[in-house]
Amino acid sequence: MLTIGIESSAHTFGVGIVSKGKVLANEKLMYDVGTRGMIPSKVAETHVKNAKTVIRMALEKAGVDMREIEGVGYTRGPGIGACLQVGQLAAKTIASGLGVRIVPVNHAVAHAEITKHEAGFKDPVTLYVSGGNSQLLKLSKGPERRYQILGETFDIGVGNMLDAFAREIKLKPAWGSTVAKLAAKGHYIPMPYTVKGMDFAFTGLLTYASSLAGKERNEDLCYSIQETSFAMLCEATERALLLTNSDELTVCGGVAQSSRLREMLAGMCKEHGMRFGFAANEFNADNGGMIAYVAERMLNSGVSAALDRCDIEQRYRIDKAVVY
Amino acid sequence: MRKLSEGAEARVYLAKMFGSNVVVKVRHAKAYRIMELDENLRRTRTRREAKAMVRASEAGVRVPELFALGEFSIYMEKVTGSLLKDARQRGRYGEIGRMLAKMHGANVIHGDFTPANIMITPSGPCVIDFGLSEISESAEGKAIDLLLMKRSIGDRDYRTLAEAYGSGYAGSKQIFSRLADIEKRGRYQIRTLM
Repeated sequence: MLTIGIESSAHTFGVGIVSKGKVLANEKLMYDVGTRGMIPSKVAETHVKNAKTVIRMALEKAGVDMREIEGVGYTRGPGIGACLQVGQLAAKTIASGLGVRIVPVNHAVAHAEITKHEAGFKDPVTLYVSGGNSQLLKLSKGPERRYQILGETFDIGVGNMLDAFAREIKLKPAWGSTVAKLAAKGHYIPMPYTVKGMDFAFTGLLTYASSLAGKERNEDLCYSIQETSFAMLCEATERALLLTNSDELTVCGGVAQSSRLREMLAGMCKEHGMRFGFAANEFNADNGGMIAYVAERMLNSGVSAALDRCDIEQRYRIDKAVVY
Repeated sequence: MRKLSEGAEARVYLAKMFGSNVVVKVRHAKAYRIMELDENLRRTRTRREAKAMVRASEAGVRVPELFALGEFSIYMEKVTGSLLKDARQRGRYGEIGRMLAKMHGANVIHGDFTPANIMITPSGPCVIDFGLSEISESAEGKAIDLLLMKRSIGDRDYRTLAEAYGSGYAGSKQIFSRLADIEKRGRYQIRTLM
């Protein structure tokens, strides 16, 4: 069976094609965030322009014809409403045109599941870190399984925090990686560190680091904000692993591309004799492959939705989605 | 020294000092984070924990006696008895409510106030593990102390506890109203560990 997955929750329009758990194509085009960030209507407009192209790119990459597609998945949420609608419409159009089944997918579940699949793990604790999200997750047991949130940010996601700080010191976009580049030449300045059990908060750190902009070297600020925020994530993660008696950890989401974060998590797991895994970067960034992967599993389990029930949900929390 | 437990933050050992049992809580180094940050954290947390224990004790709350304080370690009395979570002793909740009232009156927030951190000893309940505690006037922190306990015990026991807390702490009205606010927030929907 060939399943196509469409992702459009934020600045990426991604299309993936999957067959029996194998990702055959994972193509994308992105809205240029520039220095202003995302303006929902502009991003949606770009997605509309790109949709057809990306779908064609994916079909070509996979070497298949549209008429061979037997199932469709799309991101139902969480994400930006105007952006989600574009993917939803594209998915519904394909499903009704081909007369095949369609299924809505939770974006966060897709990140966690593709990563578990790629790492070859059974039952890991998952640290999901992206622009808008920072959560510690573990799949519940029982017949109807859902990701339970063991801990999460009280305010903003770690990615947004790093982006907002980078804008504050006027770095060029691809902020997370530009912060990392400067951090390599930095020294430590003590900064607010907020962890409460398995929860954490980033705005105090952001406000403090921003208040030092222009007064301290950018290299030192980048080094310290990165080391502090990642150490917070590691501490909460360590607690989650020990409390749930887990021996596997995965990290996923946009910020999972950070080599420093991976290095810290790997070191922490090594101390406890736990296994640590992550997926290739194409799956950490937003992508359609992970949506197609989860959609295929859902369709194989007999789950699908009628076309008029295919909605979007901007605040579709991960613990509301059943995992198949 | 025999290791009693290993948490995310500290290792707890049992040692003999001058012929008696002593609990040694050591916040060990974490190689995954940079040394400056690691030592800062461990030093301030160790100091904060000891300070909270002393303050609570001065307020008349039974806590393990503090014997000695190192840079990253605390030497304290080994309290014997059974944990409230195992003992489930009725009639104790009034006493526990009064203890929390005294702690909050002295601005000691425990941070993890659950039946797993209250030891029932022959001389009465003893509050243990001040590892997440802080000294603060924060209504939020105090309300969360109440909330954690409320979630862990039955309705009737909580009513007993709350009544004793209310009459023992002059600032309790504000804390109860903050608790009601917190319970309405989405982020605090009940989470169960597997």
